Parts: sequence; structure tokens; C-alpha cells
Amino acid sequence: MLQRLLKRKKSFSVSVSPGNHHFALDRKETLLAGALRVGLDWPHKCQVGSCGRCKCKILDGVIRPEIDFNYVLTPAEVNSGYVLACQSTPKTDLKVTVNLLNKGN
Amino acid sequence: MRKLYVNARYLLVPAMTIATIIGLYLGGFYVWLGVLLFGVNTILDTLTKHIHLRADFDDSGNSFGVKGFQYSVMYLMLPIFIVLQTALANNLYKFVSLGVLEMSEIIGSILSCGLWAGLGIIYGHELSHNKKEGFGVSRAIMALSGASHFTYAHVFNHHLDLGHEKDPATAPRGRNVYAHAWLSHMGQSKFSYDLERKKLEQTNSRFLSIRNMWLRGYLYSLPTIALFVWSGGIVGVVALFAVWSISNFLLEALNFMGHYGLIREQNKPVEHRHSWDNDNLFTSWFFIEIGRQCDHHVRGETFFWELDDVQGPNYGIGYFSLFVLTLIPGLFRAFVQKHLDNWDSNFATEGEKKIIEEYFPNKTRFLGA
Repeated sequence: MLQRLLKRKKSFSVSVSPGNHHFALDRKETLLAGALRVGLDWPHKCQVGSCGRCKCKILDGVIRPEIDFNYVLTPAEVNSGYVLACQSTPKTDLKVTVNLLNKGN
Repeated sequence: MRKLYVNARYLLVPAMTIATIIGLYLGGFYVWLGVLLFGVNTILDTLTKHIHLRADFDDSGNSFGVKGFQYSVMYLMLPIFIVLQTALANNLYKFVSLGVLEMSEIIGSILSCGLWAGLGIIYGHELSHNKKEGFGVSRAIMALSGASHFTYAHVFNHHLDLGHEKDPATAPRGRNVYAHAWLSHMGQSKFSYDLERKKLEQTNSRFLSIRNMWLRGYLYSLPTIALFVWSGGIVGVVALFAVWSISNFLLEALNFMGHYGLIREQNKPVEHRHSWDNDNLFTSWFFIEIGRQCDHHVRGETFFWELDDVQGPNYGIGYFSLFVLTLIPGLFRAFVQKHLDNWDSNFATEGEKKIIEEYFPNKTRFLGA
């Protein structure tokens, strides 16, 4: 248990498609916060998990949800891997897909 | 030294709540200490109305606030508020069963407890934005005042619909604080109920289930109800009603002051202009920066000690001073009219001005004439 805690990664890599963007995400940082930090034009509005504007699809990897996504996303979205980026911290390296506002970023 | 100053200045409420508890246990005149402190705070707030500080950061842009310390204090407030209610229950028992307390002492105890229990909102609010264990602590603190629904409604309703009629916590122009307290409280509970019902339907869960967070929130209040009924019988029920009324009134008064009369077009982003700041020195320290509403509603999950002045709409006075004005609706409207005029002229967009003209064409009628 202690060994697992000591070995726990502090940072994970995130790949964003389309566009082939990559950035490192701190274990306690939300996906949205990390994306905005590196300048990605990730759609968002409320940043508290209520509007759903920042939703994205996890293609590979596991996130830690900060809230129950069922309040904002439909069951079909939840079942097909959609999450709220502002309420998701990484548990593993991630591959995600989202429609960035400015595709040229 | 700077770090100590920045972190220690937010300890006013914990210190004064503990003083109020001690007052309740000492009995006699001391049970009124909580009420007296509120009066003293109003004076201090008024005296410091011209002092406005900015958030403190070092040269590298790092905050002096220590997250571990501030969160420990906020979590510690849960048992402190429980002890506050227990102190009142103890006095109820002494009054009803032992007959060793005077009527004036029990009235003082109820008022002191109600006023300080109401300050649970500042911790319940801050922790509602921490979605992990803090969210649960927020719910537990709010449940002590029978308002556990607040945590969900605040995040999923208020932050999303602020400044729009869909947000019960935003007071439209012309409403007084007494009507707002009732309408906002019931509206937020209704929102929380609808939110749960929708979630449970979507996930094929029954309404009467452990997954129903609206229902669970009210169940969290059962220990408080049991404590007051056990300690004071019918008198305990009256005391509980009084304490919950006072504490919920304070909660809704903060909502009332934070957004009164401000307007936002549906589907337009929440911006600094959709909140009123109350950020003089005493209010900032006492209310752990909850008065920096303009910044908070744009950066919802920013720690309170990092919130700053963003040059948004500002009443220019603190919460204690403004709260006294809200208690006299005519006086509050006279005070707020110049601020609304300024907002309409210098902050409102063309779309927002159209809403004002359509729904609030005769501004003078709000002066109570």
C-alpha cells in the first residue's frame, strides 16, 4: 500500500485529437485546467461542472471524476466515455477527443 | 511573517464562534455574547469601509495562502458548529427540565446560536466548490441549518443561471430581502429536487433510494432535529425553528446582496459585471472573501484567498453594513438605486439594457414612493 503510494505518478501525459496536441497533466490538475494552461482553446464556460460545455470523450486511459457526471451528461454520453474536463483529474495517461474552438491552436 | 498574517486573518469566525459557545455554557449575560459580537462586527465593518486590500502573492505570483491549513480550519468548523448547537441544546435542557435558566437567557442563547450557525454558509459555500470530501463536509455543515440542498443548487443552478430568472438565488429589482429569503430557499430546494429526479430517472433508479441526494440532505438534518426535541420538547422545536430561520435568512441575505437587480441574457457567459463585490477589509477577512463575488463567479473553483478585486460592480461598503440596510427595504432601495443606475450606464450590455427597459421601465417605483 505504502509502496504503491510512493510509486504513484505525479504527472501524466495527455494526447488530444483532432490536432495531435500533447501536454503534461499534474495528478491533481483537472483536464480543462491543464489544457487552458498550455493554451489550448478548449470550450468551457462555468468551470464548476454545471454547464457541460467542456465535455470531451476519453478514448484511452482513466480519469477520476470530481462529481457525478449524470447531473449534466446524458446516460448515452456517460456510457460512451464522455466526461466533463473541468471535473476530471487523471489516474493514467490519457487520450481524449474534443472539438477545440480554434482548430489552428 | 507575511504567510502567517495572510492565513491568520481568516480566523475571525472560528474564534468568535468559540467565544459564543463559551458564552452559552457560562450562562447569564454571557449567552448574549454572540448577539453582541454581531453588533461590534457591524461597527468594525462600517469603520473599515474605505479600506480595500488586494489578494496577496509573492514576487513569483504564488499565493501566501496555505491550502492545508485553510482546509483544516474549514473542516474543523463542522464539529465547532455541532458543539454550538449542543451548547444551545444544553441550555434548553436547563431551561425546560431543570428550570435553572431565565427566559431572557434562553432567548439570548437562541439568537446567539442562530446568528453564528448562519455563518456556516461561508464554509458550506467554499467547500461546495471542492468536489471531493469537501463537498460532503459542505453538505453536513448546511444540514445543521436544514439547508443541505444548497450545495447542489449553488453549483448546478446558481453558478449556471446567475442573473437570469432561472436562478432563484438572484433577487430581481424591487424584491425585498424578506420575500427573497423565502423564495430563494424554496426555489433552490425545488431545483435540487428536480435535479435529483432527472438524474434518478436517467439512471433507472427509484426516487426513494440512497442515491437520492436531495432526500439524503434532509436526512442529514435529523440528528439536529432529534437533539432539539430531546433537549427541549416543544420549546426545543420552537428554538430549532428560530435558529434555522435566522441562519437561513443570513444565507439568503448574502445571496440577495451578492446579485440584487443584476441582469444577464440567457446563454451569455457569466462575467464580472453580474455580481456585486463587498470587499472592504473587515468583510473580506470575516467572510473569507465570499464578498469577492465578481471574481468568484468567473473563476468558480479558485481558492478564496486567491480571489481578487477585478474592478467589477462594488457597493463600496461591507456585508454587515449592507445587511443592516437590507433589513429596512425602503432604505436599501434608496441606497442601491445609485449603484443600479451606475450599473445600467457603465456595465450593462445593449442586450441587458433591453431587458431592463422591458421588465423594469420605471426605476423610481423601486424607491418605495
